[in-house]
Amino acid sequence: MTTSPATVRDATVEVNDVSKWFGQKVAVSDVTCSFGPGLTGLLGPNGAGKTTLLRLICGLLAPSDGAVSILGSNPRRDHRVYGRMALVPEEDAVYGQLSARAFVTYAADLAGAPREGVDRAIETVDLGSAADRPIAGFSKGMRQRAKVAAALVTDPQVLILDEPLNGTDPVQRAHLIETFKRLAAGGKTVIVSSHVLAEVERMADRVIAIVDGRLAAAGGVHAIREAMADTPYRIRIDVDDPRGVAATLMSSESITSVTMSGNTLRIETSNLPDLGLRVPKVAKELGARLTAFEPEDESLESVFRYLVRRRK
Amino acid sequence: MRAFLSIIRVTLRQVIGGRRWIILGLVALLPAIVMWLSSANLSETNSIARYHDAPLVILFIIVLPLVALVLGSSALGDERRDGTLSFLLLRPIPRWTIVAAKFTASWLAATAISSVAGILASAALAARAGTWVTLVPTVVGVAVSAACYTAVFLVLGHITSRAVLVGLVYLFVWESGISFAAPALANVSLFRIGLTAYVGLVPAGTPGVAALDEVLGLLVPGAGGAVAKAVGISIVCIAIGAVLLKRMDATGE
Repeated sequence: MTTSPATVRDATVEVNDVSKWFGQKVAVSDVTCSFGPGLTGLLGPNGAGKTTLLRLICGLLAPSDGAVSILGSNPRRDHRVYGRMALVPEEDAVYGQLSARAFVTYAADLAGAPREGVDRAIETVDLGSAADRPIAGFSKGMRQRAKVAAALVTDPQVLILDEPLNGTDPVQRAHLIETFKRLAAGGKTVIVSSHVLAEVERMADRVIAIVDGRLAAAGGVHAIREAMADTPYRIRIDVDDPRGVAATLMSSESITSVTMSGNTLRIETSNLPDLGLRVPKVAKELGARLTAFEPEDESLESVFRYLVRRRK
Repeated sequence: MRAFLSIIRVTLRQVIGGRRWIILGLVALLPAIVMWLSSANLSETNSIARYHDAPLVILFIIVLPLVALVLGSSALGDERRDGTLSFLLLRPIPRWTIVAAKFTASWLAATAISSVAGILASAALAARAGTWVTLVPTVVGVAVSAACYTAVFLVLGHITSRAVLVGLVYLFVWESGISFAAPALANVSLFRIGLTAYVGLVPAGTPGVAALDEVLGLLVPGAGGAVAKAVGISIVCIAIGAVLLKRMDATGE
């Protein structure tokens, strides 16, 4: 039996050809992937469709096409599976009038989990000193930790976390990452979404990258990094002789494309240092005045977009 | 049962938290104030009759529906607005349990506040006329109508974020307008269901009760029938709410 990088053999969460559209807008398009025990990072820029995909996995959204299963069950049809999974949503889905302890106790009661685990869950996220204060007065990071505690109290087999590190300070972040890693090492399926590559690198061995609702890349962190190493740099150059500069630069093998708009050139190159040396030299030779030389898209988003283009 | 009771407990804190209970509490004083002020110079018999033509009608047509509208529509509506609905939906409990617990909590709260209004009005009557004959029928009638209203407004609160506005239009156009103009429609008027329970329980010949027949139209007074209708409406609304929850897409926005 063979598996693609997006799927695993011992899957506890399976996403098969899933699409989701809201009216004319396609939020998730034909995604197939699976998750098994261990920590998997779901990586993508803001608006890529990560939250929609996680909500599809949890059954909060019905797929427009395709199918999802968690621990062998369709969560839209079998609510009992929620006793073995938990979601920490990105939004502030907390009861402000409750204390953290009451909130976590509420989660335990609703899941039929023992109340003995409440204190342990609160201590796990290091919220003990604030446990009896109303959540309404919490910082964003504390609310995040309260939500994580409410998820942990049910001892889920599958733990899904949507941008759980948002709003947390570096110490809290390190603590939470250690917690997620420990759970994963204990055999739980932990899925953590993030738009920050460095965060995912710190905790996940395996990454699913999603851009524009599509699966862009999947596999080990190192494989993703290698894929990204192929990404061309896009540079914007403002010069008063764009045609002459473009014609000269096009002879370089490292330049993959040049587009011109007025006095602006947009150049894609695989060798940024070489371009950085050549452009001023060419401008000087042509007597052209160079007013800007700026990387246009070093963001994670642009890297992902490249991955999507390459996939197509 | 543990999940059911937990949802009730948290929902009660939600629906009557903050300034909401103060505002609703002030509204609940209205029938007693009207009773006290309008019966200052009346005989005991006329005071009892006044209870039926002013405070009781205000209680059933204004106070109770408004209280039930605010509390019923917020039971699920607040969860949706605050983004906590997904917290409930991701639990290993049937959808109908969630809706039934939400209904029970908002019904208890609406009944409690509206009953206080009825008890205070009855106390004002007792102070004027020396009788508590209206007390139990009022509380029972309130509980019956509160069940009908909160069940309907619970579903409304889930369907639309403008539930209070839509509910007010319903109350003024349907309950206080069309249902009075067309007595044949009295069967589907929610406040009248509670009022039939009241008329069925209050002793025959109590001054002013006969005047309520005009309000009831073709409805037959009786507590048993009223309770049965309230139970039926509540079950249907809980079922509708459960189906809506099951089919909904929780986008988290």
